[in-house]
Amino acid sequence: MKKKKSEIFKYLKHPDPFESGLSFCAGCPLELLIRLVPKTLGNDIVITGTPSCSAPVLLGQNTGTWHKLAYYGTLMTGAAANATGLARYYNRAGIDNTVVCFNGDGTAADIGFANLSGAAERNEPFIYICYDNEGYMNTGIQKSGTTPFGAHTSTTPVGKKSRGNKNRRGKNLPLLMAMHRIAYTATATMSNLGDLAEKLLKAKEKKNEGFVFLHIFCPCPTGWGVGTDKSIELCRMAVKTNYYPLWEAENGKFTFTHKVKKPKPIFEYIKLMKKFKHLTEDEIQVLQESVDYNYRLLTKIEAE
Amino acid sequence: MKKNSKIKVVTGNEAAAIAASLCRPDVIAAYPITPQTEVIEKLSEYHANGLLDAELINVEGENSAMNSITAASLAGGRVFTATSSWGLVFMYDAILAASGARAPVVMANVNRETPGIIAVSCGQQDMISIRDSGWINLIAEDCQEILDMLIMAYRLAEDDEIQLPVMVNYDGFYLSYLSEKVEIPAVEEVDNFLSVLKKQPQRPRLLPGKSLGCGSHGILGGYLELRYKHCNALQRAKNKFQQITKEFQKQFSRNSGGQIEEYKTADADIVIVASGSMCGTIKTVIDEKREEGIKIGLVRIRMFRPFPEEELIRALSGKKSIGVIDRSVAFGFSGGPIYIEVKTLAQDINTSALISFIAGLANIDITVLNIEKIIADLIDASSGKPYKTVNWIPFEQEA
Repeated sequence: MKKKKSEIFKYLKHPDPFESGLSFCAGCPLELLIRLVPKTLGNDIVITGTPSCSAPVLLGQNTGTWHKLAYYGTLMTGAAANATGLARYYNRAGIDNTVVCFNGDGTAADIGFANLSGAAERNEPFIYICYDNEGYMNTGIQKSGTTPFGAHTSTTPVGKKSRGNKNRRGKNLPLLMAMHRIAYTATATMSNLGDLAEKLLKAKEKKNEGFVFLHIFCPCPTGWGVGTDKSIELCRMAVKTNYYPLWEAENGKFTFTHKVKKPKPIFEYIKLMKKFKHLTEDEIQVLQESVDYNYRLLTKIEAE
Repeated sequence: MKKNSKIKVVTGNEAAAIAASLCRPDVIAAYPITPQTEVIEKLSEYHANGLLDAELINVEGENSAMNSITAASLAGGRVFTATSSWGLVFMYDAILAASGARAPVVMANVNRETPGIIAVSCGQQDMISIRDSGWINLIAEDCQEILDMLIMAYRLAEDDEIQLPVMVNYDGFYLSYLSEKVEIPAVEEVDNFLSVLKKQPQRPRLLPGKSLGCGSHGILGGYLELRYKHCNALQRAKNKFQQITKEFQKQFSRNSGGQIEEYKTADADIVIVASGSMCGTIKTVIDEKREEGIKIGLVRIRMFRPFPEEELIRALSGKKSIGVIDRSVAFGFSGGPIYIEVKTLAQDINTSALISFIAGLANIDITVLNIEKIIADLIDASSGKPYKTVNWIPFEQEA
């Protein structure tokens, strides 16, 4: 039987500017994402990024790199500010541009949050992509502002007096950003590639009106304790449990882009990885409540 | 005075804002902090009234100010920001990134104390705190020099042999809010002065569709090469600044020295080394003492980084006693920061007495009386009398 070609291929209109064999961990979906961005948006994007999981590939060493893109390796503290300077200058000089500020959740939700929020408040004309692997994975799996309740990391370990990350909920970063009423906010993940590509293209259009924030759920097989063949399955289950709902917001107007008819219980998602394996029934219930709360909130905002 | 120049009475801050506007920057990003705030208020005012054609970014902190202008500079733009004290140290990582990337950004730093407590007062401690950041640091003495130095700063920063960020320092409060007569050149004159840069080979620019990386991961030999070139560029900046000052004098008929200003030093036995606004007072006292027959002069440091070693050796060699006045401290050292640096030249200078005076911290006025006492100490030292090497003024100085 002939296999049906994935819908994603119709979006990939540009060459892949990356070399084959990038230095990501085995099974990391970040490679899929990082190739997808210029293949969808074009190779004339200017990409900026910070020290992070993507840095070894994006930065290169000395004069050697793994790609052909215009790239600026920025500081975690000022990633959005660097992108602001580029976009503002290009616009002033009449240079057609798509600046993509490509960072992990540590930069976006924690150390670089002030300048991300500042750029959003000023509606700066560029695309900020946060790939969220729920922790500082490049430095070896430490807790970040988006690490969920109960998760084991090397700085929220499970021990006699500790049960993993004790914060009730990680920062709801995409919602926070949408609340700035920026031109465009969207969530996406690698199990729904067509949806992701559509949102990338919309982002390119919308950045002419103002700030764009794309939040990409990006599991970390190494840090979360899953097999190298399981990352896409994790993305899919995060969507199916409403742990990671897919939505978009234009200037504060919310729309679900994918509704789950019968959401699965959160257990179906957390059982796939080691980072939650210590959770008791009660603790799983806390996580379930957190998922339900976030989803209820989105539903109410969408109805607004 | 140039025919098409204007004379205006302006504050040091306004002089800085006017200078930046005259240089036609593409991108300005700034955040308010006392005593710098007036600089960005003025720039915003010019912008709002259509007198300044630039992208103005009202950032949410100094760190973002430096990061956005560095990026715009690497893309090919001319950029400006101004800050002070805590603002300067809040952008510290971005300051290092700017010089590491060889971004020719220009910044005005309005000197203010930077202690563990909030001291909203003048001092050069902020400049001292970032001295090893690989920037070129200039220090202005008065409002006219703030304007002149900022214009020269663009020539120096963007020169194809230099390509380094330049910070123009001036004393907060004493100069930031001081209104003085300033000669403002016509914008065409400034265009003309900066036009040399257009004839130079264009620096690499980060542009869409161009395969170019900035801020790569430099390791081993690659890193060493970048550092070596950076350090050499800083050394080249000394003569380059000297040359730019001469060209500035030719065009605008104003010159207040190159890397250093020498005031009555040629025949002097005793020399004070100082920088910034206190030099006005020092010059006045020197004039009085000269009338009394005391052979005294001043070396004013205009370029702090790169440190004008050769010029200082030339100007200070053979002097009987030298006093260095610092408006800052060197933690863990028994003298002021500039004093320590002058002391590294002691072997070449060959003086019998090199004395440190720490003065003017936190808006304590450096008075005529203070300078007279400093001169008395230097006279004693030059005649072989015992002297104290490190003196805190006025704390340890008798009235």
